[in-house]
Amino acid sequence: MRTVQSSASLHDATVVLDDRVILRAVSVAVDPGLTLVRGPNGSGKTTLLRALAGLVPLARGDRRVAGDILYIGHRPMLLRGLTARENLEFFVRFRGGDTRGIDGALRAWGVGEDMDRPVERLSAGERRRAALARVETEQVPLLLLDEPFADLDDAGVSRLRQSIGRARDDGRAIVVATHAHPELDDLARTRIAVDNGAATAS
Amino acid sequence: MIDRIGLVAVRELRAERRQPDGLVAAVTFIAVLVLLESLVVGPQIARDPDVASALFWLALAFATILATMRSFDRELEDDALEGLVALPGGRDALFGGKVLSLTIVLVLVAAIGGLLSLVLLDLPVALPLHLIAVVLLGVLALPPIVVVDVVLALRLRARAALVPILALPVLVPQLVAATRGASAALSGDAVGALSWAGLLFAFAVVYTVVGLTIVPAAIE
Amino acid sequence: MREISIPRGTPLPRIRPWLGIAAAASFVVASAMALFWAPTDAVQGDVYRILYVHVPLAWLAYLAFVIVFLASVGWLWTKRPFFDAVAVASAEIGVLFTGLFLVAGSIWAKPTWGVWWTWEPRLVTTAIMFVMYVGYLLLRGLSTDFSRRATRAAVFGIIAVIDVPIVHLSVLWANSLHQLPTVLRAAGSPALDSSMLLTLMISLFAYTLIYAYFMSARVSLELARQGRLWTT
Repeated sequence: MRTVQSSASLHDATVVLDDRVILRAVSVAVDPGLTLVRGPNGSGKTTLLRALAGLVPLARGDRRVAGDILYIGHRPMLLRGLTARENLEFFVRFRGGDTRGIDGALRAWGVGEDMDRPVERLSAGERRRAALARVETEQVPLLLLDEPFADLDDAGVSRLRQSIGRARDDGRAIVVATHAHPELDDLARTRIAVDNGAATAS
Repeated sequence: MIDRIGLVAVRELRAERRQPDGLVAAVTFIAVLVLLESLVVGPQIARDPDVASALFWLALAFATILATMRSFDRELEDDALEGLVALPGGRDALFGGKVLSLTIVLVLVAAIGGLLSLVLLDLPVALPLHLIAVVLLGVLALPPIVVVDVVLALRLRARAALVPILALPVLVPQLVAATRGASAALSGDAVGALSWAGLLFAFAVVYTVVGLTIVPAAIE
Repeated sequence: MREISIPRGTPLPRIRPWLGIAAAASFVVASAMALFWAPTDAVQGDVYRILYVHVPLAWLAYLAFVIVFLASVGWLWTKRPFFDAVAVASAEIGVLFTGLFLVAGSIWAKPTWGVWWTWEPRLVTTAIMFVMYVGYLLLRGLSTDFSRRATRAAVFGIIAVIDVPIVHLSVLWANSLHQLPTVLRAAGSPALDSSMLLTLMISLFAYTLIYAYFMSARVSLELARQGRLWTT
């Protein structure tokens, strides 16, 4: 099934935060497949992802999205006091989805042993893995991942690569923002270079 | 929408059960205030229905602020709040879920704090059922305002000072009604207790509706 | 996602001088009428003349906050920065007039009631309103981002204005259960004859013009500040 409309797009979007222009008249479109967002620290990668996710107000321009979005920021976004499993169950139930795949996904990400411990007792790497398992448990058409490699060891990186590859094959749109890691280069279909608040696609 | 509010409330209560920081802080605060009151003004004055009710409700208002701020502090660790807001409909469910879960926590706080007041001050209760009604409805009336104000002060510098400054003036009607109602129930004025309780219920409804309508706009 | 439009020039600067002249002239006329033309009150004597300041200040205090409410709704609805400029201008001016109202009320209360402050429902409501709007300005001052500041302030502005009549009623009811000392009840507003009423109307008009003049100045200032923000 091929749709003419992109999964998500920004048109002429300007974002002003703390009275500073972070994104300047950015127009990007995200299609199914992997899109890599590259750029130095402070260039506006995170804000670009947040703007696509609808988490920052646009001072100008507009945003279109075709369906639900999964946004995972550069922190794991899991609530302390809950276990990894409870956190993931919450997200899945909130979207009205099926919670049966959660155990399997957490085990595949290597947090099977620890999925019933409160997340504050997990290591940073384990929390990151639990957060990334959401890519499998929440089957939404658009994934926005901000620096997903942070805190991951080699096994985690290859697991992430595998997971993104599968999502791509399923026809989902994946956007990954990262300043360094070349591990995903060969999977990427589009690249967006962000520098000083301006974005150019290639 | 209702199920989503329920999900947010359950998520909050689970976290609070495992790390009851908000509950413990709020209960300790009320206990310390009741003790201090009887020491400072003397047990004779502290037993006056007006004085005892006023102090209880002021303490409960601060306890609500403490518990709410603690709940949002937990949300800010690891950006959990953003995980919720980024979900479709998350913005809309946040206010309702927080109000619901905090109300449940505060019922506990009010029950413990109220019993402490009754025992420590040896308060005679003329109309116990009326008192319970006033306390329950009063507890319902506080969180909507406090949750709005904590959301408004989120991530701001000096928010620990800002939240009480924003919340307490707006809470004047609730505190007046709850204090008068509790005092009426303690001293045996059934009509007074019920009319103030009705008023508290109206406040709870008005501010819950206002909050559900405009709070989603205040969350970025 | 709604667009935040960039403010353009407004006709405000052109009418402002005329507004200022009209406000000043009517203020002089109103003050002269209040001090010399209006007759002395039979019960309170000349002290009552503070009424011609007190009532207009109360009117402006409430007017300013209703404008804050409308502007806050306007901002949340349209996200046009003009509304935020109106809201902040009206809140600042409103705090000023509310403060003056409380001072004038105290000055009036001392000779009439013998105390600087009484728990009279209108005074209490206004005092609480004053604190709420100090909170409103504090919230604005602590927020760093333009649209976040405007949105958060608007939400608080709306809640605070809805709360004002409720505060008034609750204080009224609480007081009606507790007997007020009779001296407070006896000294209500003096009955006004027609020349007193005319003086009061002209005073209200003059103070409203002053509010309009302050508003036009403060709104232009805020719009200029916003303009600098958008160009950087």
